[in-house]
Amino acid sequence: MMSPEVSTIFVLVLFGTASFCGIAWVRTRSVFLRRLGIWLTVLAFASQTLMLLLGFHKTMPDGLSAGAYIQLLAWFVMLGGIVVWRGVRQATPLLCSVPLCLALFAVSLPCLDAVVTLPASVQNSFYALHIGALFSSLGLLSIAFFAGLIFLFLEGRIKNKQHMPGFWQDMPAIFLLDKINAFAVLTAFPLYTLGIISGMAWAEPVFGTSVTGDPKEVMSIVIWLVFGVLFHYRLIMEWKGRKPARWAVCIFLLCLFSFVVINTIMNTHHTFIRG
Amino acid sequence: MDSNIYLVGLNHRTAGVDVRERFALDDCCDPERWAVPCVGAIQESLILSTCNRVELLAAGKGDITEQMLQCWARARDASITNIRPYIYIHKNLEAVRHIFFVASSLDSMVLGEPQILGQLKAAYRKAAACRTTGVILNRLLYKSFSVAKRVRTETAIAANAVSISYAAVELARRIFGDMRRHKVLLVGAGKMAELAATHLLQNGVDEILVANRTVACGEELAKQFHGRAVPLERLTDFLPSVDIIITSTGSPRPVIRAKDISAVLKTRKNSPMFFIDIAVPRDIDPDVNSLDNVYLYDIDDLKEVVEENLDNRRDEANRAREIVDEEVADFAGWLDMLDVQPTLVELLGRGERMAGKEVARTLKRLGSRDENLRETLETMAKSLVHKLHHGPIMFLKHGDKHEEGNNTRISAVRKIFNLDSDS
Repeated sequence: MMSPEVSTIFVLVLFGTASFCGIAWVRTRSVFLRRLGIWLTVLAFASQTLMLLLGFHKTMPDGLSAGAYIQLLAWFVMLGGIVVWRGVRQATPLLCSVPLCLALFAVSLPCLDAVVTLPASVQNSFYALHIGALFSSLGLLSIAFFAGLIFLFLEGRIKNKQHMPGFWQDMPAIFLLDKINAFAVLTAFPLYTLGIISGMAWAEPVFGTSVTGDPKEVMSIVIWLVFGVLFHYRLIMEWKGRKPARWAVCIFLLCLFSFVVINTIMNTHHTFIRG
Repeated sequence: MDSNIYLVGLNHRTAGVDVRERFALDDCCDPERWAVPCVGAIQESLILSTCNRVELLAAGKGDITEQMLQCWARARDASITNIRPYIYIHKNLEAVRHIFFVASSLDSMVLGEPQILGQLKAAYRKAAACRTTGVILNRLLYKSFSVAKRVRTETAIAANAVSISYAAVELARRIFGDMRRHKVLLVGAGKMAELAATHLLQNGVDEILVANRTVACGEELAKQFHGRAVPLERLTDFLPSVDIIITSTGSPRPVIRAKDISAVLKTRKNSPMFFIDIAVPRDIDPDVNSLDNVYLYDIDDLKEVVEENLDNRRDEANRAREIVDEEVADFAGWLDMLDVQPTLVELLGRGERMAGKEVARTLKRLGSRDENLRETLETMAKSLVHKLHHGPIMFLKHGDKHEEGNNTRISAVRKIFNLDSDS
């Protein structure tokens, strides 16, 4: 079995090369580089999937590793990128998600031995649902984040009648970006809700209460409320364009803050402690 | 290189439209009236005659420019002195570079325009039909097509619109992407608005509505676009159902105001709207652009887009020139090989002939009629010939061209292997 460090470096190199190809494509507009970037991305995703299926995390220290958590998030981000790539037949969203995965993998490398101490009842299926639903939601939110950011940039330039630099001309139309954003938000919110509810259901027998006042829980509920507002306005009030794009960007940043800062710095049930 | 490549021509920079008209050769490109026949020193020829340029490309022995000019002048009942003030002449690699420039649209009046490549392909087809192209021009023309493709793929020379109507369509594509499910409303019937609507229709818009002060004129225009006419007085009733609005009325006051559009947006559930105002004075209140999901471009904005796109094309042209330089160097390598080719063929042919004779002699001596043995011996002898000649072939192909020159190397190999007396 390949060690977590070796497999992480292997996928990291693939994502690094794919990112390089993506950036070189932006510079040169070479079709070859774009195709190579796509192939390397798909190869990196397939390799990571294979490693997840082989269960490389089982070779890590007891408990759940922060590195494995971050890599799982990268996997969902890439899954979202691939879904959008196949859906709208544009390579740009895919190649945009590669540098984020590269950064996540780079961050995960020194965190492979940092583990979260889990109670004995960790095998509870609610826990798997909790993690699976929240990470799927985060992957979709990352897509909403990128679509929102690109939308804000492109829409600003069109609105203000500014010249569109070369690379941005290859981006999807703003109408399509808004649709991607809407799809990601409308799919991510129910998953996020499922993740929160399953977490509460899992916490009840473990901690004796559904809500323990843990900072991570508080932050997640705040995010859920803000997310709920965006979901409501998207679905019922027919929000389109800049406003929902800005909201999606902010919500993803809040999620990242919760994931990176609260899970590592603050003292919560979710804190990763270096072994 | 034994043959020279010459390009003689005039274009929009060297000659006015009257001169270009007078010396155009578009009626002299068929087999019966081919203006530059392959006789005398001219071995191959091609004629490119478009509204912006007339160019003769030929390959032949020695200086063939006079013969080319005579042919041109004769075809137009003129004398060489009439043509000479307007022409440019390029020889060998300069001619190659020029034809690559032309194919890549770097020499066109509108930088990056796509028509010239099609015109060059058509000119080549005609020359091929007249059997006036040979090894050099065939290779040169195919190469120029691939250079043009490379330039288009690797640079953004043709990426942005350089006409107002195309710029409007390009902006619409940046907003809506696929145009198939979108509707257009044409308010008024200006020429430029019609042109933009035509381009939008070509890009697949779902339907075009026409609102005009004169109903008959509106109906006629709607018929032209396979759309339908709507009354101008009920304009606001139709706004919620359309995504792109092109206005070009002669109205002295705005026909569309921001407050009208706020209500329309609610009905449309905030779906984006793109307004193109080509009228002067403007038909649309400029405040419309401040509304969310609404984009308004007037004639000055579109002109600015076109100017920026032209600047961008000029920048990209520098990158394209680097590609052309690379390709010219590559073609120069092929031209050098062209001189070497006959000696290579002779050298290997001589070796294989000798090997064949030796195999026959050996088989006779052995008294064998075994086919397998004959095949084995032939294969071995051929392989020996190729291996023994590998060194001289490499010397011919890749010897130091600056020090030796092709001719010195060719004559050295010919002398060593006695190719000139061995028949």
